[in-house]
Amino acid sequence: MTTQPIVREFEADLTVVAAVEAATDVVALTLAAEDGAALPPWTPGAHIDLVLGEDLVRQYSLCGNPADTRQYRVGVLRAPDSRGGSKAVHAELREGATVRVRGPRNHFPMVASPRYLFIAGGIGITPMLPMIAEAEASGADWRLVYGGRSRASMAFVDELAAYGDKVTLLPQDEAGFPDLDGLLGEAAPDTLVYTCGPTGLLDAVEDRCAASWPAGSLHLERFSAKAPASDEEDSAFELVLQRSGLTLQVPADQSIYEVCKAAGVSVVGSCLEGVCGTCETEVIDGDVDHRDSILNDEEKESNEFMMICVSRCRGDQLTLDL
Amino acid sequence: MRDRSAGCPRNAWYALAASAEVGSTPFGTRALDTPVVLFRVSDGSVVALGDRDAHRPYPLSLGHVDGDTIVSGYSGFAYDRTGACVRVPSQAQVPYGARVPSYPVREEGDLVWVWLGEPSLAERRPPVPVPWLTDASWETFGGQWETAAGVGLLHDNFGDITHVAVVDPVISPPVLAGVAPALEVELTETTVHFHRDWPAAPLPEWQAKISGASATASYPQREEGAFLAPGLWADRWDVVIPAEEGGTQTFRFTHAVTPVDDRHTRHIWRVSRNFAPGAEASDMLRPIFESYYLKVREILETMQQVIDRDGYGEDVNVAADLAALQVRKILRRLVADEG
Repeated sequence: MTTQPIVREFEADLTVVAAVEAATDVVALTLAAEDGAALPPWTPGAHIDLVLGEDLVRQYSLCGNPADTRQYRVGVLRAPDSRGGSKAVHAELREGATVRVRGPRNHFPMVASPRYLFIAGGIGITPMLPMIAEAEASGADWRLVYGGRSRASMAFVDELAAYGDKVTLLPQDEAGFPDLDGLLGEAAPDTLVYTCGPTGLLDAVEDRCAASWPAGSLHLERFSAKAPASDEEDSAFELVLQRSGLTLQVPADQSIYEVCKAAGVSVVGSCLEGVCGTCETEVIDGDVDHRDSILNDEEKESNEFMMICVSRCRGDQLTLDL
Repeated sequence: MRDRSAGCPRNAWYALAASAEVGSTPFGTRALDTPVVLFRVSDGSVVALGDRDAHRPYPLSLGHVDGDTIVSGYSGFAYDRTGACVRVPSQAQVPYGARVPSYPVREEGDLVWVWLGEPSLAERRPPVPVPWLTDASWETFGGQWETAAGVGLLHDNFGDITHVAVVDPVISPPVLAGVAPALEVELTETTVHFHRDWPAAPLPEWQAKISGASATASYPQREEGAFLAPGLWADRWDVVIPAEEGGTQTFRFTHAVTPVDDRHTRHIWRVSRNFAPGAEASDMLRPIFESYYLKVREILETMQQVIDRDGYGEDVNVAADLAALQVRKILRRLVADEG
């Protein structure tokens, strides 16, 4: 008898030790283990899942200090078009409440660089806070452009005040949209661009970086799935799991992730829409049809990894390191 | 072909020595291809500096400690704990800007941890606590040496212990000879934990002997491994013995691994236990564990020789390698983050 390994992410019930209004419709939650035990370490750009109910799992960037191993902090915007996640956080996660936390994981890691340009839109400021603290500590030359609907809606402005004129605040009702052409029209030398925020902003930043910046300069994180680039029809293919020694059939109407689960192969997944990166899997052979919102073009072309919750295979057979 | 080696992050705490090795006599060593000298200053704290005199290519570790400075055994240049040159014998003025690198140091678990990466990150990535190495309720012994193999081979080895029964039947708990139960792996961004719950089985003879537990009764056993940081593994083995028969016996195995260069690794190992206290039991256990870890060293050195001669192959991985593969993935990412 062979037994398949079971893989999962760290999970724990954490206590809300503080719930503070960080801006209009934004709550900053500080989470800790009830017994004060150390939490798993993380690096800037990391996020955790809050498990808010069955089928209600949402990702939030960690925005505290990674050196504080006893606490996590997240900032949550009450989204008007919320599918229930942020509404549940605002309604239920008061001080003293308990919430199931999974992770942390990081698909927006901060790469060392002498210069950074951070562009944040709205609640997209959260992953930037620890990045900025690190950039500042290392003596890097950095700048943050932070846009929001109005000054009152922009969270953590008080914490950013300490950085002086390295931070440009752009409340839309006072200052309009960020001048992306001015910021990104020409590639700056030795500079990495980090951006997080609403889809419109990210698409605009992506377009400008693609036009004039060296490959690999742009790092972005999306909150929701990118509009699908391919309208290819889903087709069936054969899936070879090399380590498990299994060959499975993936029908047109099922994902690789679903087929693995059904076959009893332990795989990890969280958002199941190509956003969180939990199900990233190493590709051994086959032509991957990437449909996630995490990998950049270079990474997609390398054909080394794929998100098995949404991505598929263009040919007849795909071999994965599972 | 894809590069199967994971590399070594510089932004990590590595154990360069045991606390007992570092005193007021300079201790020279290497890590990440960098020469480092360690010594204690008057307040008892350890200082880590680049082990090369700024004046001539001569190791500071061949000099001596004078108060809170270290003095080169050739030029006579003296350096303070920040690495700044504070005295030269031939003139009153210290040459402007004369200094050697200095590195953040922490002592934790009677080990000296040094941060050779981006200095500003050291404060922001505290070393992992290893309280059992100094806690009086645990009895600890260990050893250390250099293994002529890249650190990746050591990580792969600690990531899966199913080879123990093959390598060393003496140390191996009898239950390891059977079919391995399902491996359960738990991931975070930068750590990998794994465990297996083994069915009830007798203790190894030597463990029954030192602990006075039954050599024939069967007890459930639990294996745990944890990659906690690029320089630290903390594994454990629990034998669940009922309280009336003495209670659970736990071994903790701590492995501090420090890349010396891409084919040499400093391996500091510690075996801690919460049962059978006393030097007599430790004296009986030490040769058993030392002999096993030496066998592992020899095997990993042979693997390194095979790689040196024939290159990395497309190794076949099996289900039990899941944890080791996750460790490689984390290491690759941490190296990539360094730009």
